[in-house]
Amino acid sequence: MPRLKLSGVTKAYGATLALRRGDLAVEAGEVHVLIGSNGSGKSTLCKIAAGSVKPDSGEVLVDGKPVVVSGPRGARAAGIGIFYQELSLAARRSVAENICLSDLPLKGGAFVDRDALEDRAARYIGLFSEVSGADFEADAPVDTLRADQRQLVEIMKTLGSEAPILIFDEPTSALDRAQVERFFEILRDLKAEGRAMVFISHRMDEIFAIGDRVTVMRDGETVGTRNISDTSPDEIVGMMVGARETLAAPTTTQPLQAASGDVALSVRGLTGPGFTNIGFDVAAGEIVGFGGLHGQGQSSVLRAIFGAAPRTEGTVSLKGTAVTAATPREAIRRGFAYVSGDRGRDGVISGRPIFENVMPIHYLRDRLIFARPSALRGKAEKALQALHTRFAGLSHSLNSLSGGNQQKVVIARWLIDRPEVLLLDDPTKGIDLSAKADLFALIRTLAEEGMGIVLYSSEDAELLANADRILVFNGGRVTRELKGEERTRFNLYHAAYEAAE
Amino acid sequence: MNAALAFVKQPLVVALALIVVLLLLGEALSPGFASSQQILRLLIVAALLGIVAAGQNLVILGGREGIDLSVGGVVSLSAIIAGNLMNGTDAGIPLAILACVATGALFGLANGVGVTLLRIPPLVMTLGMLGVLQGLLVVVRQGIPSGRAAPGLSQFVSQPFLFGLPGIIWLWILIGLFMAFLLRRTVFGHRIYAIGSNEQAAWMAGVPVRRMRISLFVLSGVFAAIAGICLLGYSGSSFANVGEQYMLPSIIAVVFGGTPLAGGKGGYTGTMAGAVLLIILQSILTTVNIDESGRQMVFGATLLVLMLFYGRGQAMRA
Amino acid sequence: MTELSVPARRRGGLKRIFERFPFLPALIILLVLFALNGIYQPRSVGFVGITGLAKTYLALMLLAVAQTYVVYAGDIDLSAGAIVSLVNVVIVVLMGQWGGDALPVLGAILAGLAVGLACGVLNGIVVAALRLQAIVATFATSIFFTGLALYVLPVAGAPAPALFWRTYGGRLLEIPFVFYVVAVLAVILYLLARTRLATQLLAVGDDAQAAYQSGLPVTAIRIKGYAMCGLFAALAAFCITGDTASGDPLVGGEMTLLSVAAVVLGGSALSGGFGTVVGSVFGALIIGLINSLVYFVGTPSEWQNLVQGLAILVALMAGIMVGRRARR
Repeated sequence: MPRLKLSGVTKAYGATLALRRGDLAVEAGEVHVLIGSNGSGKSTLCKIAAGSVKPDSGEVLVDGKPVVVSGPRGARAAGIGIFYQELSLAARRSVAENICLSDLPLKGGAFVDRDALEDRAARYIGLFSEVSGADFEADAPVDTLRADQRQLVEIMKTLGSEAPILIFDEPTSALDRAQVERFFEILRDLKAEGRAMVFISHRMDEIFAIGDRVTVMRDGETVGTRNISDTSPDEIVGMMVGARETLAAPTTTQPLQAASGDVALSVRGLTGPGFTNIGFDVAAGEIVGFGGLHGQGQSSVLRAIFGAAPRTEGTVSLKGTAVTAATPREAIRRGFAYVSGDRGRDGVISGRPIFENVMPIHYLRDRLIFARPSALRGKAEKALQALHTRFAGLSHSLNSLSGGNQQKVVIARWLIDRPEVLLLDDPTKGIDLSAKADLFALIRTLAEEGMGIVLYSSEDAELLANADRILVFNGGRVTRELKGEERTRFNLYHAAYEAAE
Repeated sequence: MNAALAFVKQPLVVALALIVVLLLLGEALSPGFASSQQILRLLIVAALLGIVAAGQNLVILGGREGIDLSVGGVVSLSAIIAGNLMNGTDAGIPLAILACVATGALFGLANGVGVTLLRIPPLVMTLGMLGVLQGLLVVVRQGIPSGRAAPGLSQFVSQPFLFGLPGIIWLWILIGLFMAFLLRRTVFGHRIYAIGSNEQAAWMAGVPVRRMRISLFVLSGVFAAIAGICLLGYSGSSFANVGEQYMLPSIIAVVFGGTPLAGGKGGYTGTMAGAVLLIILQSILTTVNIDESGRQMVFGATLLVLMLFYGRGQAMRA
Repeated sequence: MTELSVPARRRGGLKRIFERFPFLPALIILLVLFALNGIYQPRSVGFVGITGLAKTYLALMLLAVAQTYVVYAGDIDLSAGAIVSLVNVVIVVLMGQWGGDALPVLGAILAGLAVGLACGVLNGIVVAALRLQAIVATFATSIFFTGLALYVLPVAGAPAPALFWRTYGGRLLEIPFVFYVVAVLAVILYLLARTRLATQLLAVGDDAQAAYQSGLPVTAIRIKGYAMCGLFAALAAFCITGDTASGDPLVGGEMTLLSVAAVVLGGSALSGGFGTVVGSVFGALIIGLINSLVYFVGTPSEWQNLVQGLAILVALMAGIMVGRRARR
């Protein structure tokens, strides 16, 4: 009998149906992978199991008995612990306090037992002591930690619940290889203990390394379950996409884009927090890729060029003229465009109509004062069509769209007026495969029309398939440049891990 | 059916419905309450509140915990300055208007600079500014008498101007139209919503966030100053801290109008209805023959009940 | 805060000191003001002067503490002053009815605490359980509480029994009563800081959604925060009663906004998740010392309010900027 079973679960947020029919069955002693594109409902399904979202219908069964999970506390009582993708940490509280937050040990009825707190936290901190970094201390406030360390704290917190059923929603997104390895070791130990675990991830290599079975969701519905040993990445992707599409196979013989020779963007000696002495050129019509492990400075460099992050030295030249953009506003005026991978933070003006989300750049470029929908409607729709955006009407709220379509709207705002240089900072993070395909088709078209493009992607396949040259980042520097036939996954990985401590 | 339900739940509709209910209630409790003369007087007072609420509305829409606690002080100061510059003559009106608007703008600028450049939370900054204004009022009142409104001003505020409605009502309507146009049909208006909804995203899209926010506080000061001038016209002469009573009601009017305190959503028409609603509520309580303590208890309790229908926070478990 | 993308802060030596003692900037400003007061009016920093300072500002110190607990959780209580007024009139009326001896006085004090607690719980229910926005909701409850106070005592001026204000203003074993109060307060605050509730309030204020997801009973915690506020507001009312020796249904009116200012001066974040009650106590004293300094410097009486207002504004700005740099 499965330890955890979700059956026929549905959830709608207003008009949007997040979960059409969610089913999941997890056995004791297995790592059950849950995969699906954005908007497939997998996060919602897990949050319902963990009690922080209320389902509209359906059943949650633990050990065959239906449980009513009334909230996170009810879920804990039912034996379910969860790692939240967005983390659930209190920034100013210490690591130890966060790990034990759900159940602070008491002394004398009302006072926190500091010793017991430290002891309990130490147990979980010790599990990761070799990979957590030198400055990782139990009494450090969480907001003094790096992103990967914070993710580790959330993992420790989840493990600290000692729950027989554990759900991990993208627990490895910021972790480095050593940390992931250690985490998987712990998961294998927990498997041997008989815990039932759900593991959500987008990374095929991780899924095949740690998973026992995999359930695929698409458009709010469970599509199917397979044994990992009996399936392949292609089959899984096929189930996710719903047709016999496969990942674009990284080609090593893609002909170089016919770069016109004019230099669109030129960077020399760029230095700042997180990056040192970065220099490169982007020719008109060229797509330059940034590769390497996550967090090696790629994003900071792009943001620094765009005026959204600080830099201490270096020059940036646009079509031969030096440019110092201290704010995004200046950068946009000069002709830069920047698409962020974190649309929730950097892109989406939530609660507002699609029209207001598409227009801001145009307002700036054309120095408009009045916003007349009748005059501007055509431009907005044209830009949205270029990406095959699915929307009901310009006056509808942006929130009525799926994640992938929201990102399309955000990208469309840069297309109304042609930028000189397009900076893409992991633009496809968290959007579904068909949206990604539309986006890359558009990017290639723009390059053909002569735009200079810089593309940072955390997915190797995307880089290899779309970049004419790849600059591999490591520790804030460009350590290698891969051109032509050098653009292989092997070379990419090799350069990324080179000289890493 | 769903569309009808959504329409009815809109803050503006709820506010209008409540206004009608309260008018009927008032008429029942005290005949003559809903006479056209009375309603007119209520509308004049509501206009005064509504003008202050316009500025408050803009500041709140801009997000980042935007709020302006200093409006009451600006209203009072503006009333005194106007009274002195006019001193009972119509000739003094233009100078008075200029001086008051400049003063309001100046304090708004100070607030805006503190909030954006020094990044002081608006609650704290405007609170401190309120203290300064209250101190300034003491100084100003020592030196000069409270002054008198120009007859032209009093006439504008209280006497029929066009179609039987006093000038101040028309001014309010004009302001309402201006706000609607500003918020819906100008880049400035769209940018207000952008910074209120997601300041980071707005910044990344090139919106001049700081300049916008300073402008919002300046506008709040200007609207408060205008209200102060009108208040002088209504009461004839000004006395200390006459504007104090407008501060928190202006915030409540904005909330009742459907703008959440977090900003990014809502519009001014709802606020106008909210202002009218509040004034009628206060007026009913004054007409009914209960003593001050009862009046306050009922008012406080009613506000709480009304708030149940507006801007409740998100439940933890969505 | 839950974002992975927020950059890490470095933990140098100075930062660590500010981490452990977030009230340090406030303490420094306080000492500077103290010194300045002493320069312009040496008697003010003498024994009598300090006693007077404590007697006058003890109520604000307690109200600042009250406000701090609510601010920990990211809320605010704009009815704090009204609660003070209500408790003030309740105990004065009760003592008037029951007599001025020790037992009735104690009974009145207990009743006062109960009233403060009830008001706090009501606020908590309105803000946390009914989810009304704190600023406007506590404004509404402040009107309600003021109405109640007016009902209990329509006209200010009812006297408090001699036992009450003589004790407050008097001495025990040669040491002024208020110093004992301060000492006991220090102990209570020390203990309260170590309770689970304190950590939970700060966690909720930091990120309520994250706290909820971590299984904390967020609503109950926020209600308890308001309850603490009500209790300390009642204590503040006792001090007011001892200081003014009378009941006044409107006495607390101005104190509300001053209590918020004190919290900010003390270095606590109004958005929640960070702060200390000790800092708020210092903040209240800073306000007091600014007021007295303006007077001692010889400011003409009509300018005093303005200068005080400017000084407090400057202090607020300085407090926020220093606090931010310390956390960077």
